[in-house]
Amino acid sequence: MLDTIHAIGLVSCFALLGTSRIGACIRWLSLQGIVFGLVPLLAHDDGIGLRVMLLAGGNIALKGIIFPWVLLRLRSRTLYPREVEPFVGFVASILFGIIALGLSVWLALELKPALPHAPFLMLETAIFVISIGLFMIISRRSALMQVIGYLMFENGIFVFGVITVVETPLLVELGVLLDAFVAVFVMGIAIFHINREFGSMDVDQLNALRG
Amino acid sequence: MFADYSIFAMLALAILGALVCLALPRPRHVLRLIVLVSAIELGLAANVWVGVLGNGFVTAADGWFYIDAFSAFYLIVLVLVFLLSSAFAGVYFAHETGEHGFTLTVAHRFGALWLGSLTAMMLVLVSNNLGIMWVGMEATTLLSAFLISLHPSRLSLEAMWKYLIICSVGIAFAFIGTIFAAASVQTAGGIPADALFWTRLASADVQLDPLLMKFAFIFILVGYGTKTGLAPIHSWLPDAHSQAPTPVSAMFSGFLLNTALYCIMRFVPPARHALGAEFTNELLIFFGTLSILVAAGFIVFQRDAKRLLAYHSVEHLGIITLGFGLGPLGTFAALFHTLNHSVCKSLAFFAVGRLGQEFGSHEMHALSGALRADRLWGIALLGSVLALIGVAPFSVFMSEYQLLRAAAGAGKWLVLVLFLAASSVVFLSALRHLIDMAYGDPKLPMADGAADACPGAQDGKAGILIVVSAIGLLVLLGLWMPVWFSGALVSAAAVLGARV
Repeated sequence: MLDTIHAIGLVSCFALLGTSRIGACIRWLSLQGIVFGLVPLLAHDDGIGLRVMLLAGGNIALKGIIFPWVLLRLRSRTLYPREVEPFVGFVASILFGIIALGLSVWLALELKPALPHAPFLMLETAIFVISIGLFMIISRRSALMQVIGYLMFENGIFVFGVITVVETPLLVELGVLLDAFVAVFVMGIAIFHINREFGSMDVDQLNALRG
Repeated sequence: MFADYSIFAMLALAILGALVCLALPRPRHVLRLIVLVSAIELGLAANVWVGVLGNGFVTAADGWFYIDAFSAFYLIVLVLVFLLSSAFAGVYFAHETGEHGFTLTVAHRFGALWLGSLTAMMLVLVSNNLGIMWVGMEATTLLSAFLISLHPSRLSLEAMWKYLIICSVGIAFAFIGTIFAAASVQTAGGIPADALFWTRLASADVQLDPLLMKFAFIFILVGYGTKTGLAPIHSWLPDAHSQAPTPVSAMFSGFLLNTALYCIMRFVPPARHALGAEFTNELLIFFGTLSILVAAGFIVFQRDAKRLLAYHSVEHLGIITLGFGLGPLGTFAALFHTLNHSVCKSLAFFAVGRLGQEFGSHEMHALSGALRADRLWGIALLGSVLALIGVAPFSVFMSEYQLLRAAAGAGKWLVLVLFLAASSVVFLSALRHLIDMAYGDPKLPMADGAADACPGAQDGKAGILIVVSAIGLLVLLGLWMPVWFSGALVSAAAVLGARV
């Protein structure tokens, strides 16, 4: 099962790197959120308690359903071409993805001895998703795509946290989820204002302040 | 007395205040309420501080809240800056008119987000769990983002978006660091449920995995360092500081940056424990010195007064970070400098903000002749910038002098030379700007009819009280440091493992 999640994680990342329609990107992100939400149920074989159930359920609901819904609504509310408009082209993005995958495997191999509890495949997936999320934030012109990148980044950190730290108190998990929840809304409202003021969500136009 | 209940009271009061702000019928009621809440918070924080100084620490909620001498000191500085900034908000927003008018909707939004940010920052300082500390830190970003674009405009939205994205990513890095820190406990000895408790992580009987702790500290330093405004990851800072309404800039500069630095320093004792003092000290010294140098470079070319002050923040946070890396005396100086910088920078922002309202611009050449145009805020500008660049007898001079002694004592001669060189550059260029601003000939006609008002008198007692108390504190601490106060700083430094 972890193999399947690993595969879907990788495929969704490459799909996000190569897709030109924002709507399709949001759907891939949703799939990624749902699949990664299952990781807490699978990563540890010492029984599934209420805490793990809540954690998985909360993540699937937020990252698989609510966030994509918010983003899709935002996309349909704003007057903007529905293309991703990258600073870095799609082919170059996919090439970056391949290099990042290699580096993730290497870094996971380095970290593995220090983290004996963590399943290797998930460790590698987490590092890969984190790096691709970061790349999306930097390389895409649309503010909406930056939010998608940020959420991928969060997805990666979530997987990393779940597999490395077993006993995080529920309160902390809930706090982190709440922050992600508020973050998406704050960013959504910000995009809405930016779109109204600038007539687009192109972050390349946000260039008046420098020096 | 009842110091543990004071912690609950502080958090509850700020949340309650934020909610009440939303229901008040007049903008000026909101402004009065935030001053009232801040004043009560100062009393409660003082009570906690007294408890900590007597007892060593105060804890509540089953150990989830834990305040020692280090966090108690930060708490006092936070609430002090908040009280000053809240009082100034009353003066400042009374003069906002036209499209930037302080309408009821704006007042509601401001009051709720302002006290909300206070709650989040206090949560960072009082929580013992590093996960909750992170939650509080991310909450400060989310709550304060809309304070920057209180009046949405192209520039303020740009600044707000950069702040939101850069700091969110930075703080997410810090979360990776927090996970590494928790994992470093697990692997070395079973799986403790309290791995994220700072008291547990910093205690001497815990085995920490050195490799994971090293990763943790680097991620923490880069992550929270983004929000601290350490170079080269400071790029959001001048934009946000220059575009935000002035009370917000003052709060950002005066305390928000320190909150992030506080988070970094919380990880220093466990990192020193696992890796030795050398590793953390070298990193702190490197980022501190780099920030000072980069800021000095930018300060020379600034034309906007608020951006100038923002780069001063990069410089001074660099100085504080450097101090933390220089052993016991350096840590002592860094803590002292934290208070000095916060008070002095808030006052500088107040002055530039009010003068900017009167002159209709924050460009430095436009602010020429400030001392003649507005006696009160002209004096505030002169005093605060002189203090900021380290002129005696202000207390900033004392803390920087102690820091130099610490650098010499630690044998860091290169750092000492770089620090002195950068400080000289900052001193000269800031002084040149200041002389023009304070004593130059007025170049622009004054906006908002301030020209016919009696200089300085229009802000009444509140304005005078703010300026006199801030400058008074800076001079007083520069000339005389009470024994109990230096004792409090020594015990705060001891928390970080630096015995003076």
